[in-house]
Amino acid sequence: MDFQSVQDVMERLEGVKYISSREISTVVFLAQATKKPILVEGPAGVGKTELAKSVAKCLGREMIRLQCYEGLDESKALYEWEYAKQLLYTQMVKEKIHDVVAQTATLKEAVDQIAEHEDAFFSERFIQTRPLLTAIRSEKPVVLLIDEVDKSDPEFEAFLLELLSDFQVTIPEIGTLKAKTHPFVFLTSNNYRDMSDALKRRCIHLYIDYPAMETEVHIVKMKLPGMDEKLLRKMVRMVARIRDLDLKKRPCISETLDWANSLVILQIEDLSPEIVSETLNTICKHKSDYEVVRKNILKVVKD
Amino acid sequence: MVKLTLRFVSCCRAADLRISTAEVLDCVSQLDLINPLDEEEFKLVLKSNFAKSRREQSRFEQMYHLFFHEMQRDLSRVTHDPESEQIRAVLDMLREEESDDRLGKALTDFLEGDPMGLVEEVHRIQTQEEQASRALRSNMSQLASRLQVMLKINRMKNKILSFQGGNHAVIDKDSSRKINDSLNEKLDNALALLNDEPRPDNYGLKEVKNYDKKYKQVGEVPFSSLSQEEIEEVRDVIWKLVKKLEEIATLRFSISNRGVIDIKKTLRRSGKYLGIPMEIIFKDRPLRKGKIVALCDVSGSVWSTARFMLNILYSLQECFSKIKSYIFVSDMAEVTDFFKNHDVNEAIEKIMNEAPLNYYVPTDYGMAFQHFKRKHMSELDKKTTLLIIGDARSNHMNPQDLILRDMRDRCKRVIWLNPEQEKFWGTGDSEMRAYKAHCHEVRPCGNLNQLIEFIEDLII
Repeated sequence: MDFQSVQDVMERLEGVKYISSREISTVVFLAQATKKPILVEGPAGVGKTELAKSVAKCLGREMIRLQCYEGLDESKALYEWEYAKQLLYTQMVKEKIHDVVAQTATLKEAVDQIAEHEDAFFSERFIQTRPLLTAIRSEKPVVLLIDEVDKSDPEFEAFLLELLSDFQVTIPEIGTLKAKTHPFVFLTSNNYRDMSDALKRRCIHLYIDYPAMETEVHIVKMKLPGMDEKLLRKMVRMVARIRDLDLKKRPCISETLDWANSLVILQIEDLSPEIVSETLNTICKHKSDYEVVRKNILKVVKD
Repeated sequence: MVKLTLRFVSCCRAADLRISTAEVLDCVSQLDLINPLDEEEFKLVLKSNFAKSRREQSRFEQMYHLFFHEMQRDLSRVTHDPESEQIRAVLDMLREEESDDRLGKALTDFLEGDPMGLVEEVHRIQTQEEQASRALRSNMSQLASRLQVMLKINRMKNKILSFQGGNHAVIDKDSSRKINDSLNEKLDNALALLNDEPRPDNYGLKEVKNYDKKYKQVGEVPFSSLSQEEIEEVRDVIWKLVKKLEEIATLRFSISNRGVIDIKKTLRRSGKYLGIPMEIIFKDRPLRKGKIVALCDVSGSVWSTARFMLNILYSLQECFSKIKSYIFVSDMAEVTDFFKNHDVNEAIEKIMNEAPLNYYVPTDYGMAFQHFKRKHMSELDKKTTLLIIGDARSNHMNPQDLILRDMRDRCKRVIWLNPEQEKFWGTGDSEMRAYKAHCHEVRPCGNLNQLIEFIEDLII
């Protein structure tokens, strides 16, 4: 069932364990109501992909995901002709082709005869659908996630335009295929490069930042209900301080969760500088980051 | 509501936010779905439709505040106050006196609650380019325009005061002061608009500060103070690195011939052999081939870094589809051909002696960028990585950093390598802070270790 109001979005997302801000919920609600794609920006690990997954879950839709990378092209994203199958079929129906042309007198007539049956070989039967085509040909509405669209080439971005504005794609041999149902589209970007104005114009923009402390505490509490409240608050405060340090990669929410999880497993009750530096490798993923945090450990741990 | 939104849109456009009609339509239709009296939601709808990247958000916030807070608040107060008539009279007087002056009119409009003219004017000043005069270089033209606005504002304040003075019989002192204060406050806001230019929030900026200290001795010496033996040693290390990277690149190339069979091409080729697929064609995996455009500052200390950088780039030519290089002091000259026709080291020597560039003028980044924009902007496309190697010390000339923004809009990535240590950025005449806002990546690159790390990042 579709979302009814902003409040409804918020509650249902929380129902599938995604804590969303008012901003996120409003944008999701508007996007659904106006059938527009959402372009989600934000640092790595703030839950951009997770948002799409959660929306799919609470709408009860299937999620189709397309991971973008350099060199991604139409044949991997949209469709490809199944040449092998076409060949196989041609071999098998060879006899039939003989029958078709048997009655004809001239070569021209024979070609015309075959041309009439051309459709048999360039039909949807021989198309192998890739994520994008699957999404718009689906009988039931789906959630389509185009992940890390900033990693793709400019050509691919241009090619997305038709899909995002009209929800249709053009295949030269067949014609234009229109969407049977409107997919709910999410595009995520880490800002590796700037997206073109044309693409941005077709989307609603949403920026997700690192969560406020209360929100992060809420998230951890929901995923790890067993954790001691005092320890949890102390830990989240520390993560926020670590994020302020000058790091190559700042810890994201999933790393906060990892850290919390390992603290629970190790049955740690209080965070002393020693324990922090021993368990630091769950949140620091570079050697130099690790050293920076170690150097500032007292600043991080202070109450 | 629609009218208000449209007025806001034209105001944003005047401030160089690119908003298309389609976006306005979307926004208006979305406003029906929310409660427009709830400001948070109202603002969110405007924001998610008009500022489509994090970088544009700071400008949007500024415009939103100006339009919906400063302007609207004043308007409502004016209409209900008993002094409104008096204010009307002052504004009429100003309008009459400033009728033949664009700036004066814009300011009067601003006082009346229509900021568009002024926003446009301010934007014009902020993007104003320096006149390229050879004889006399200065960063004065932008300053002069700014000064004009400031003087105008002062003059208007005086006019208001004297008008009120002539009128003191009609109204009491208290309300006269009130009127004065309210108008002055607005004029101060106008001044603030001119002075506080929001820098885009460059959240995606990659700032590399830590690096692996791979080579203990020679790796840590700044390029500018290498001795002759150390230079030889550095060359050695670079040569080894180049060989290693070339190997990696060729490996990638050889893998590219072992992908999935490309049936379409194989069938087409089989026509030659009566339909028997004798030649099997594989789908080429695309190589990571980008184009590099390098801009190198060749003044003093920077050149020692730039030459090593160019040395490496051209040794690795095979890894990129194209490399274009330019050097600049205040003019800019293309030096790609030197590298095409000569061996790298020879080319670098030749550049210093033969490149058509005046080395004896103070460095001026703004002018160099302007030159690039006029002559070479077409070199940039969405597959180009723009490397700028320089200390951003522009001798207090106008940095013209908005040109760098235009360049950013046209290419894939802008990477700034600064041979100075990070703690000196933004001190003295360094314009690093202004330029940083428009880069995708900034890193100090003053010694071998830093250079190696950068090159490995770039290629692998």
